[in-house]
This record gives sequence, C-alpha cells and structure tokens, in this order.
Amino acid sequence: MGTGKSSLIATLCRELSELIELGVVTNDIYTDEDARFLRAQGVLAADRIAAVQTGCCPHTAIRDDITANLLAVEELEHGCGPLDLVFVESGGDNLTACFSPALADAQIFVLDCAGGDDVPRKGGPGVARADLLVINKVDLAPLVGADVSLMLHDAAHARGPGRPVIALSLRDRASVGPLVGWVRDALARWRDGTLVSVDPGPPAPHAHAHTHTH
Amino acid sequence: MLDLVLADARTPSGSFAASGGLEAAVGAGLAATEVPQFIRARLRTVGVCDASLAVAALGCGSVDGLLALDLEAAARTPAEPLRRVSAQLGQGLLRTASVWFPDHAVLAGYRSRSVLTPRPVVLGAVARAAGGVDPLAVARVSLYDDAATVASAAVKLLPLDAAVTSARVVALAAEIGALAATAVAAAAVGDLPSTATPLLDERAMKFATTDRRLFVS
Repeated sequence: MGTGKSSLIATLCRELSELIELGVVTNDIYTDEDARFLRAQGVLAADRIAAVQTGCCPHTAIRDDITANLLAVEELEHGCGPLDLVFVESGGDNLTACFSPALADAQIFVLDCAGGDDVPRKGGPGVARADLLVINKVDLAPLVGADVSLMLHDAAHARGPGRPVIALSLRDRASVGPLVGWVRDALARWRDGTLVSVDPGPPAPHAHAHTHTH
Repeated sequence: MLDLVLADARTPSGSFAASGGLEAAVGAGLAATEVPQFIRARLRTVGVCDASLAVAALGCGSVDGLLALDLEAAARTPAEPLRRVSAQLGQGLLRTASVWFPDHAVLAGYRSRSVLTPRPVVLGAVARAAGGVDPLAVARVSLYDDAATVASAAVKLLPLDAAVTSARVVALAAEIGALAATAVAAAAVGDLPSTATPLLDERAMKFATTDRRLFVS
C-alpha cells in the first residue's frame, strides 16, 4: 500500500501512450480512487482506464478469483479496440500477494524506501520472484534513514541472478528510463513468444537441515 | 456435486465483492443484531424471486427461453445498479462455466447472445448444462448463496463473530428448504413471484453513487 503504483503507471502511460495502445485496469479497495487519480493525470484517455472494485479482497481479485478483472480487460478492448498492453494495478496488499498467470503475463512488484529498508530481506513471493522488482521513492531514503544499497543487495540475494531490480525516483527522470525500457522489452519478448514469466506464487523448493526436500 | 460447487464461495465468479445490499443497509443504520432479520427479509423477497428464476432457467432447453427469462429477471429488478451487478455476477459465472462445459451448445449460445446475463438465470442454465441437478437443489443453492453472501459481508462490515454469524445461517436451514419448495412450485406453474423491495432498490440507487464503499452492491 502506498508504494507509488498509481504514479508509476501514470509515468509509464506518459512515456508509452504515443508508441503503443495502452489500457489500465485499477483495482480499488475503497471506491475508485486510483482510477480517478489516473484520469486526472491526463496521460491516457479516460475511457482507457477501468476501475474494478475488489470489496475488501484485493489479493483474491488478482489471484484466486480474477473474473472481475478479466471482464474489465475485455470491456476495455471492446470499447477501445485492440490493445498492445494493459496494466492491471492491484489494490495494494501484503508481501504474499501476487497475480495469477491467467491474468498477468508479467508482474512488477513495487516497494518503497519509506516502507522500511528491511522489506527486501523479508522476501516473499513478490520480492523474490516477480518478473521485475521496483524500489521506489529513493529520493526519500535519506529522510527516512533507508539504505538503498542495502535494499538492492538484499533484493539481489532474495531474487538470485537474472531477476532484475530497479531503484528509482519519479522525480528523477533518468532513473525511470530503465523501467520504461524493461516494459518495452517485455512487450517485445511477448510478441516474439519468448517472454517466460515465472509464477511467483508457488513456494520455492527448499531444503531442511536433514537433507530431505519437498 | 455441481450444486456444491455452485454454492462454494471459492468457485471463481467474482461474487466476493458483493454484500447483498448489506453495506448500504449498515450505512442507513442497520445494527449488527439486525443482520439475521435482514437476511430473512431478503430470502423471502429477492431470494425466492431469484430462486424461482433459477429453477425456471434450469427447465429451459433453448437460448430463446433463457433470453425470455432475462427479461423476466430485469422486470423484477427496477434498480439499474442492481441489474448491472447481477449482470456482472452472471457474466463471471458464465465465464467460469464455459471452461467447465465448453461444448454445451445452449450455454455457449446464451453467452454470445445474452446482454443482461442476470445471475439467477445463469445459475439455472449452468446447472442444466451440468446435468443431474434437480430443481430443489438449484433453488436451495440460490437461496443459500444469498444468505451466505450477506453473512460473509457482515463479518467485514460489523463487529461480528464469524462463528456466530455462520450459526445464524445454519439456523435458516428449514426456512431455506421451505422457500426453495415454494420457488420450485412457482416455477412449475410458470407463476414466478415478483415481490417488490422498494427500500433495497432505493438504497441501491444511492449506494451506487456513494464514494466510500467496500462492496459493489
């Protein structure tokens, strides 16, 4: 919650809306606040932004029961024509929340520095296995005593090699470049058929001291 | 077993976001102690209407027959926000059922032609596609789902003990059974009930424009 997802999506829309056909589905827990924020940014035509209300269960709406989100995506395409890319913004939740692969081809998990620099160390499926981990609001780090390099180190440890992490601040345009690049690259790979998304959901294989695995 | 699957909140159909009008009622002053009465009032009005529609849909062997029931359902739902929510819930269930029964011609035909997709009609149509679900079972699923939707929302909206709330639902077993029998009898003679619920409708109209809410209805 409050990690800057809506602002990130607004920024991505600003950067990409001239290049590709975009749509956004927001998941709001309490009314359509996120959708209205996005429309107010003026980065995308209002009819390309759909709001789904998730009735207290933001994690359910993106994983266990995605019907409302699927219907919203379909309605968007029905109204706007074929879309190259749809962003689905979850309602914001806890470290275990992640998207069903039936809903999302690629997932971005967003943390922010003001949320505590120990979060990457805590791990969880989103931190460890989302296709991209974003550490947002790095401009706030000095103010809240967060150590960004520690967060990056812990994230790399939790994620292993080959799983990207981007630290950025929306107030620093240059730092946003890699995020835009990653999104464009993911889209290109999807079009090629080479995008391999790993489902963050299932527990990672692990071993105990007595050398049995399950 | 389809009756159990249809009654199970875990079956994906988007129904977790509905409160059966409870959130609007709480906003209007409904107390935690009044939830059982709210549930019973719903069951005897909206509940038995929806159950009859579902039973009628169960008996429908054609897309045209189901589309006619769409209109019957719409005629009994004067509040536009409630028609819209019912349509969304119906579409959600229809989508999932199309994965269960991809080759069922009537279900596929209804899915492509129905604009209204009211949930009770979809429920009956899906039960028919499954086969082996009898009218009483469909009526009970419909009524139970109505009660359980309100009960689970109640635990989120009010300071209630989930176990106590579920006890209230369990206590409704006989009443749900009786109302289900009423629904089956009504559908059998083509005399679907049409009890008006002006307070629920009025609250739904206001609720749709409310800013701060957790549920879609």
